[in-house]
Amino acid sequence: MTKQRLYVYSRRLLIIAAVVLIYVWAILGLPVIEIKETSMEVMGSIFSGLLQPDLDYIYDPAGEDLLRGLLDTLAIAFLGTVIAGFLCIPFSFMASSNIVKTRAIVGTNKFILSFIRVFPDIVLALLFIKAVGPGAFAGVLALGIGAVGMLGKLISESIEGVDLSAREALIATGGNPIKTFMFAIVPEVLPNFFSFIMYRLEVNVRAATVLGVIGAGGIGTPLIFALSVRDWERVGIILLGIIVMVTVIDIISGKIRARLT
Amino acid sequence: MIELQGVSKTYPDGTVGLNNINLTIDSGEFVVIVGLSGAGKSTLLRSMNRLIDITEGDILVNGASITKAKGQSLYDIRRNIGMIFQNFNLVRRSSVLRNVLSGRVGYHSTLRMIFGLFPKADKQLALEALKRVHIEDKAYNRADQLSGGQQQRVSIARALAQEAEIILADEPVASLDPVTTTHVMDDLKRINQDLGITMVVNLHSIELARTYATRIIGLDAGEVVFDGSPQDATDDVFAHIYQRRQMTEERVQSAT
Repeated sequence: MTKQRLYVYSRRLLIIAAVVLIYVWAILGLPVIEIKETSMEVMGSIFSGLLQPDLDYIYDPAGEDLLRGLLDTLAIAFLGTVIAGFLCIPFSFMASSNIVKTRAIVGTNKFILSFIRVFPDIVLALLFIKAVGPGAFAGVLALGIGAVGMLGKLISESIEGVDLSAREALIATGGNPIKTFMFAIVPEVLPNFFSFIMYRLEVNVRAATVLGVIGAGGIGTPLIFALSVRDWERVGIILLGIIVMVTVIDIISGKIRARLT
Repeated sequence: MIELQGVSKTYPDGTVGLNNINLTIDSGEFVVIVGLSGAGKSTLLRSMNRLIDITEGDILVNGASITKAKGQSLYDIRRNIGMIFQNFNLVRRSSVLRNVLSGRVGYHSTLRMIFGLFPKADKQLALEALKRVHIEDKAYNRADQLSGGQQQRVSIARALAQEAEIILADEPVASLDPVTTTHVMDDLKRINQDLGITMVVNLHSIELARTYATRIIGLDAGEVVFDGSPQDATDDVFAHIYQRRQMTEERVQSAT
């Protein structure tokens, strides 16, 4: 009895000691935190920019303005989501073990989906900028390909969780595989499918605002320019624009998704 | 008419589902297959429309071999056989009407069905089928909003809309309460008598079988152990059959 207790206590002590050591080692490894002298000044400027935004930038008939930038961003996110929505369909069905009975095919497709998920959107965008040149098209491709991994995984998992007993009934009525698929499987899967697409649209709108920073089109490009020339009023209006756009899209998409399921 | 000639089914793991079954089911009969769980009732029923492939023998539906049928000819034979399941097997998210209409898919081209375009006559037929089982007022509800008994009626309507000559029912009342059970069995009996549709129904209750059947087939361990009229299917006969089964099981247990 006492021996057992001694063992438990010593094990606990060892674990605590190990955790403490790891923490000490991690903290010692940190570089000395240096706060730039100008940092407070910059923070202050950004806040004052937010409070006194450059309202003239919202709409400028002559050319580049906030509304056009935001519209670009939305278009990139929307188009990317549509492309991903189509591309993920074959993958998500072939990665569902209750639709495809061949284990090798299911495994291969699950692997492809995981492999696509490995690349962050920014990395994909950098690759596509090299491939098709800077601009909105690179952004669309990055989001279109990047979202396939996540959408495919979520959708195939929801397909695997769906009740497919109606499939047997459709086979019994004399339906061929295509008819069976259209009547027994599609109606059960469709609401989840659109729900995930809407969710990915929310994610893509956020991602698209960042893509411009590396030159893949959208509102990020004027933002990084304004930051580099310390035009704080313009930074302020762009940030406000992004906040409003993302919030509105989230609310709309949330409402639609609530109705779908 | 369904003819089973020397039908055997051995599952890949070696389990014998059916063992040399010879049966002829005539048009207009109300056949009830009874037996304990695992006796092979479901396997027998599912082999008749080839939801399960048999390993030996042949099954003829109206003279055509479903065992040898391929592609379109298999779909055509199946179109003539409606099926009702224990768990209803409805498309839960679709409307009742659409579920009933899905019984019609065998009559139309694949392209038409991809777009879900049913002719007006089909819709009329589906509504009439729903009327026959007294739930036409639920036509536009979602299937999963209905109670178990109502869902089973939808699946009967689906089989009716299919305009099949034969209806197979695999434990149609096993997940229903006693009152709903009577309703559903009455519906099946009425359809059998009014429309002359051949019924082959799996049940585990011999009492129900005696009330509704014109012919009872007793199944045990994949073999036909009784085939006769409801009057002959007395409790004594079945007690004897099930006792035999118990004795075999005990013998197997003591041997291992």
